[in-house]
Amino acid sequence: MTAASQGAPGFSLSRFADTILPKLVIAPTVLACLIGFYAFIGWTAWLSFTESRLLPRYEWAGFVQYIELFGNDRWWTAMQNLAVFGGLFIFFGLLIGLVMAVLLDQKIRGEGAIRTIYLYPMALSFIVTGTAWKWILNPGLGVEKLLHDWGFTGVVFDWIINPDFAIYTVVIAGIWQSSGFVMALFLAGLRGVDDSIIKAAQMDGASLPTIYTRIIIPSLRPVFLSAFMILAHIAVKSFDLVMALTGGGPGFATDLPSIFMYQHGFTRGQLGLGAASAMMMLFTVAAVVMPFLYSELRRERRG
Amino acid sequence: MGALSIRNVKKSYGDTHILKGIDLEIDKGQFLILVGPSGCGKSTLLNMIAGLDDISSGEIAIADRVVNKLSPKDRDIAMVFQSYALYPNMSVKKNIAFGLEIRKVPKAEQEEIIARVAKTLQIEHLLDRKPSQLSGGQRQRVAMGRALARNPTLFLFDEPLSNLDAKLRVEMRTEIKLLHQRLGTTIVYVTHDQIEAMTLGDRIAVMKDGEVKQFGSPQEIYDTPANLYVAGFIGSPAMNFIPVQLGEEGGHAVVVLDNGSTPQSVRLGPISEAQRAFVGKQVILGVRPEQLTDPESAHSDRTNLQSLQATVAITEPTGPDTLVTVTLNGVKTVARCHPRAAGHPGQAVTLVLDPTKALLFDPASEKRLA
Repeated sequence: MTAASQGAPGFSLSRFADTILPKLVIAPTVLACLIGFYAFIGWTAWLSFTESRLLPRYEWAGFVQYIELFGNDRWWTAMQNLAVFGGLFIFFGLLIGLVMAVLLDQKIRGEGAIRTIYLYPMALSFIVTGTAWKWILNPGLGVEKLLHDWGFTGVVFDWIINPDFAIYTVVIAGIWQSSGFVMALFLAGLRGVDDSIIKAAQMDGASLPTIYTRIIIPSLRPVFLSAFMILAHIAVKSFDLVMALTGGGPGFATDLPSIFMYQHGFTRGQLGLGAASAMMMLFTVAAVVMPFLYSELRRERRG
Repeated sequence: MGALSIRNVKKSYGDTHILKGIDLEIDKGQFLILVGPSGCGKSTLLNMIAGLDDISSGEIAIADRVVNKLSPKDRDIAMVFQSYALYPNMSVKKNIAFGLEIRKVPKAEQEEIIARVAKTLQIEHLLDRKPSQLSGGQRQRVAMGRALARNPTLFLFDEPLSNLDAKLRVEMRTEIKLLHQRLGTTIVYVTHDQIEAMTLGDRIAVMKDGEVKQFGSPQEIYDTPANLYVAGFIGSPAMNFIPVQLGEEGGHAVVVLDNGSTPQSVRLGPISEAQRAFVGKQVILGVRPEQLTDPESAHSDRTNLQSLQATVAITEPTGPDTLVTVTLNGVKTVARCHPRAAGHPGQAVTLVLDPTKALLFDPASEKRLA
């Protein structure tokens, strides 16, 4: 070794491999990230401060687009829908996923098959989910028609065409698709709990519900966080599900910010307004994610 | 009339018989060890005492009360698990208090108990920490604290030291023994480590394949093992088993040991009736390494020590002693010698054997010929 390093003082292959090669390998990804994410975030931010309509214009126009956005009824409907959809979707997604995981954790027969069935919706794209649920919920085609055919002629289940209830159909379809995945997350967490902890709690005199509520579920905190983050970002970026299920309708009753952004930015020739709404979505996500990220990173450093 | 009685307890899953009729009985304040290799059923038996496994047949009584049908919480027992099984989301204090809380012990009394337990185990400074912030030894203490807080009639320990490193294991072993002496509690302790079994136990049950091979005090089990299995399992280095032909001479058992070149006749203790039936037949001579040593290390007060010539095959120094391997009757035999007298490979050495401690076993039934 000494002879080799003395023989080649200027260039050393091992030094190259140690220091330069890793940087070289990672560079394309870094570059793609920088351009793909941050450069376009910056570009969108810039456009949101211009009067761009069909094509981008780059003259500074101040906050006109934001002022227009906040005066737009349709935007507020979209934000309200996001709050309803996001809240219900995350809450029931977590609840149903957790309950299914706990039930599935009772060492039942055929668990593998059941787990696969529940997890399967996740394998479908939201477009398929949306289209399927559009048919199921269609009053002239799906559940309502089925119940009428069975003789329950008084039944009315027309949420999908009722502007006040259409958003809840999006919630139903979203939960149907995602709760199986949440269940899988929780099940993995439950399986990670040491069996003897449950035995110890039994000897301490705790009943099974107490064991779950006092010991097992609290120790799943990290799983809750992961599941929450995944559901939250699905909720905010939801686009395809709504497009396939209701197309944002009836009217714009099920508009979400993402649909608002898409329609204004790309189909109605209001690029500046679309960019402003996209920035607001970014801030919404950041407002949810940042505190969690911050507290988790701090915990990690302390732990 | 005991703290724990196990009467003809069996456990089977279908045709697989895990426990084949266990009978054990200990008094209040005794330290019972269940020892055996993995798969011998010792942990199953402990779980059955705890109520975490059902009993296929037989009866278990704790403090003269049959507990077969009682759930774990009604058996008045506490258990320390191998993995400690601390509740990860609770502080040490909460861990200790949890069982008390479930049993609706008044808050003030809880505080009192926690303080007492923490003082006993010297974990006062850890009370506010989470289990993930503790070292293995500290977790072990907390697990014991949780058991102590309940003040049950019976403590169960499931291999509590096997996750600790060697040095800490010895320390905690001493501490458990001290704790037992101080509190006088009844303990059932499962381990696969025969040294733990010997050092801790008042009573040891050596188990294998779902049976108790011998049940007795540590010294009984060490000095007069009931069969080859127990003799080989307890003691380190293990007992030497040398095939010999049994003879009789003047009321004493006599065996011949061949070091490869010269057969030497060795006179053992007075022959018993059971042994006399085997005169002229092949038996197995069991000699512990420390009973086969160099003349200098042998107890000089012992009379009729028997001398043997042998050739050293290999020496393994342990510090205080050197283990010398020689060949007798074709089998490797370990003698525990003083380092100075150990010799070196190929050298001829004189060894002395304590005939009163040598044991004879029936090779067919594997039982000791008493």
